[in-house]
This record gives sequence, structure tokens and C-alpha cells, in this order.
Amino acid sequence: MSGADWLSYSLQDFVMFGPQVFLRLFVRINQDLWPWQVLAVVAAIGIPVLLLRQGRNARRLAVGLIAVAWAVSGYGFLVGYFGPINWPAVWFGWAFVAQGVLLAAAMFSGGVREAALPSGRFVALWLIVVCGLPWLAVAESGQWQALALFGIAPGTTAAAGALIVAVITGPWRWLYLPLLVLWSLFSAAMFWVLQAWWLLVAPVATLFLVGAGSWLSPRTAQSPD
Amino acid sequence: MANRITRRKFLISSGLAGIALKSPMLFANTSGNAASSPIMRRIPGMDESIPAIGMGTWITFNVGGDTQLVQQRTRVLKTFFDLGGTVVDGSPMYGSAADVMGEALDSLDAHDRIFAATKIWTGDESETRAEAARSSRRWGVERFDLLQVHNLLGWQGHLETLKQMKANGEVRYIGITTSHGRRHREFAQIMERESLDFVQLTYNVLDHEVEDRLLPLAQERGIGVIVNRPFQGGSLFRRFQSEPLPNWAGEVGVSNWAEFFLKYIISHPAVTCAIPATSKVEHMKENMGALYGALPNAGQRQRMADYVRSL
Ligand SMILES: NC(=O)c1ccc[n+]([C@@H]2O[C@H](COP(=O)([O-])OP(=O)(O)OC[C@H]3O[C@@H](n4cnc5c(N)ncnc54)[C@H](OP(=O)(O)O)[C@@H]3O)[C@@H](O)[C@H]2O)c1
Repeated sequence: MSGADWLSYSLQDFVMFGPQVFLRLFVRINQDLWPWQVLAVVAAIGIPVLLLRQGRNARRLAVGLIAVAWAVSGYGFLVGYFGPINWPAVWFGWAFVAQGVLLAAAMFSGGVREAALPSGRFVALWLIVVCGLPWLAVAESGQWQALALFGIAPGTTAAAGALIVAVITGPWRWLYLPLLVLWSLFSAAMFWVLQAWWLLVAPVATLFLVGAGSWLSPRTAQSPD
Repeated sequence: MANRITRRKFLISSGLAGIALKSPMLFANTSGNAASSPIMRRIPGMDESIPAIGMGTWITFNVGGDTQLVQQRTRVLKTFFDLGGTVVDGSPMYGSAADVMGEALDSLDAHDRIFAATKIWTGDESETRAEAARSSRRWGVERFDLLQVHNLLGWQGHLETLKQMKANGEVRYIGITTSHGRRHREFAQIMERESLDFVQLTYNVLDHEVEDRLLPLAQERGIGVIVNRPFQGGSLFRRFQSEPLPNWAGEVGVSNWAEFFLKYIISHPAVTCAIPATSKVEHMKENMGALYGALPNAGQRQRMADYVRSL
């Protein structure tokens, strides 16, 4: 294909599904999983508690739960539900699983800091993400069953996962960042084409939270709360 | 005046109505003059006619495993068939649309009512047969009526195999597609050199570049023309639906914007069929309205184009 041909393509040409079908993915996965999403809610609330506790095991458990959240939302939502209507979602799904594995590997290989976090700011941001972002799909679809929960929906999971940059050290952090950026760009472009304005908040928040996570990291934190 | 219906009269007329609904082709009028019969177009060089309005499946039928939406799209397809449509266009590029079409055809038991058209969409030129076979499994059809090389991707190799497949009776018609005005020069060269039954291209009241070269060439070479993006992917509605129809719309057999856009297209003498896509039963009814009634003549077509461009 010539350069001029490529120029004749717009973002629209690459989105092969409509907003109604996409928003129903959230409703469908919630219906199919019920009542197991209670576990996702417990994990979302429990993770900051574990992260702030002193001790290696608590932090490992928290990071382990986030790793599981990456893998489950990747394999469940992206590969299982989104993949059939959008092929790139399958690639992202497996990348989410790999991200979970990467996080787990970092945890077992000393890639996770044990120093204390600035707890107030971290918990506040975490709770805003896991309690606030799920409602974006509800606002967009008008259906409360579309709640995009942490550990199930990829957008909320990636946004919360971005905050964990705070505890990942040097080289592991560089491996962890690309998916956050790629996913944010991909989903932002998709929501733009679908004109799903509420959903656009999630990728923007994810990029912001990568910055916030780096800022909250114990090494750079000036005074832990 | 009340008209008494006897049991005998009722049985005869309901039987006829049933036949009419089941086989709209039976009452087809190939000239498109009678208000009550669908506008049919002859496939150039063939003894076969197809309804001038078909349907596309890009985006609209890609609903994955969502049973609620599959059922809803099945109702869209049923409306299409009930109103006299037969030509359905798909592509392996359209995600789950082929599987959804297969499910819908199964539940309507409508495999014999469809003129099934899909595409070969792979850069691997040795994959033609394999991809056609995969598509026919997904649609649940024994063979396709029409196989088209999607956007000229690997067209040389695919076209050779498609010709053999046609000779063996594995497919009835073959063709090539483009859209959005892409690669028209190469498209025209292929139309000049190759023996094609159909070409598929973009044509609508705003995108009319094909009027200069490709449509006259199709007429000259006896190639059927399927028109994609008749509503410019829906943007014609977004731009013009709030505007009034011209007060002479009735003269050209038009009662809404969907009919306006579609009748403009199918009244071009080179066009065989337009394939609008929709996810809604109500929109399908509007679109299929263009399959009936009067068509604009050349002067009226010009007036239609001028009117839209003046808005
Ligand atoms: N290269 C190729 O081979 C190629 C390229 C492009 C397209 N195609 C084929 O051509 C088909 C048609 O093109 P397209 O789907 O891109 O675009 P299109 O048919 O021009 O427009 C489809 C859009 O119009 C809307 N619409 C349909 N009927 C309507 C009505 N009565 N009132 C208001 N809105 C209406 C639909 O929305 P609703 O769902 O809300 O009705 C949909 O968003 C495709 O589906 C595909 O099969 C082939």
C-alpha cells in the first residue's frame, strides 16, 4: 500500500464495533461472574491496607493480588469477551497476563521496594481509582450492571496498576511501564472514535497515575505520612 | 364499504400472502416501475437478477457472543428478508460478523433466501480456498454466491484461484473491492484486464468520483457494481438528517433521507446493488423502502445531488 493510501485511512477505519456492543461487555461479564466479583471488591479494598502494613509478606500479598488482577482482567475481559469483536484486544489481553507474570517475577526477585509509602496520598489515590473509575462505564451506558470493577475490567485495573509503579524498582519499573502507556493510547483512541467521552477519563487517569506512582515512590517521597 | 370475507376467500388470500412473503422474487419486477414490487437488477451477462438493495455487516453484525444482541440482529436480518432483500455482504475482516450471520441464518432457517457475498482478506495468496472454506463454515452456507478480493489485498494470486473455483462451481461469481476512493487507477486496470462478475466500490451523493471512470467502465465491460458506504458510514445522516427533504422528494419516490441517499445510488444505470449496513430494525425498514417505488431519472438525480450539496 502506498503512503497516500495509508493517509486515506482514519482512526475510524480501525474500530470494528459499535459503542453499544462494547458497553454490553461490562454488563455481560458482570452477569456471568456474579457473585464472584465480591472477591474483586474485597481485593480492591484490601490491597492498600496490605501495602501500608509493615512487613514483607503483606506487601508481597498486595503486589501478588495486583498481579492476579492484571492476568484475570486480561484473560477474562480482553481475551474472552472483547477479543471476539476486536482482534487487538486479544494481543492486549495476553500482554495483561504477561504484565501480571512480570509483577509476580519482580515480587520474587527483589523488584518490589519494602520501604514505607506516603500512606495518606497513596490510599486516597487508590480509593479514588477503584471506587470512582468503575462508574465511568455506568455513566456511559446508563446501566449500573456495567460497573467496571478492578480485577475484572482492564481500564480500572490498569489505572490502579499504574499507581503501583510506586513500589517497583529500577529495571522492573521500565519493563512494567510500556504496557501502561500503550494500553492508555490504544483505549483513548478507541473511546475517541466511539465518542464514549466518559470512558476517556480512564486512560487519561492511567497516564496521570504513572506519574503519581513515581512521585509517591519511597525513594522520591520527601516525607512519608 | 364493508367487504365480507368468506372462509374460502380468506384461505386463498392468506395463502397467497404467505407465498409473497416467503418468496419476494416471485413478484419481482426487474424494471423497477411497479410500486409494489422490489426493484431488481440484472447481473450483467447473466440470466439472474438481484434486489437493488442489499445489506452490509461491517460493525453492525460484529456483536460477538452477546446472545441478546445476536437475537436483535437476527430480527434485523429477518426484516431484510421479509422486505425482499437477498444480498448480504461480509468479510473475514469484520470480526464476529460472519459467526453472527451464521447463527441468524440458522435461527431463521434462511440459507436458501440469501445471496451470500463475502471476501478474501489475506495477504497470503495461497490461502484463497482455505479462507473461503473457513468463511462458509462460519456462515453455514455450502458455497458463496460471490467471493471478492477485499481491497485488492493479494489480488493477483487470489483472483487466479477464484477463477478456478468459479470454473469448478465452488463459487458462482467473483469480484474485487475497494472503498473510500482508494487505488482507483489500479482498480480500473484490473477491471480492464480481468474477467470479473462484480466490483464493489464506494459511491454516494457526496463521494461520486467513480462516476468519471469506474462506473462507465463497469457498464462497458459488463461488470456488476455493488456500492458500499452508501451513507458514507452513517455520516450523511449526521450531516443532513436535521435538514428538510426537498418539496419535490415525492416525485423521485422518496419519503425519507435513507430512501433519498439510496435511490440516488441505485438509479445510476451502472449500479447493480447498494449494501447499507444497520443494526436497527427501524432503520432496515427505512432502507428497504428504497427497494420500492419510483426511481429518479438522470435530470432528477442531478437535482438530488445539487440539493444535498447546497445544504
Ligand atoms: N472495502 C470494502 O470491501 C468495504 C469497505 C467499506 C464497506 N464495505 C461494505 O459496505 C457496507 C456498508 O458500508 P458501511 O457499513 O461502512 O457504511 P454505511 O452503510 O454507509 O453506513 C452505515 C451506518 O449508517 C447508519 N444507518 C443505516 N441506516 C440508517 C437509517 N435508515 N437511518 C439512520 N442511520 C442509518 C448505521 O447506523 P445504525 O446501525 O444505527 O442504523 C451505520 O452507522 C459495509 O457494512 C460492508 O459490508 C466494504
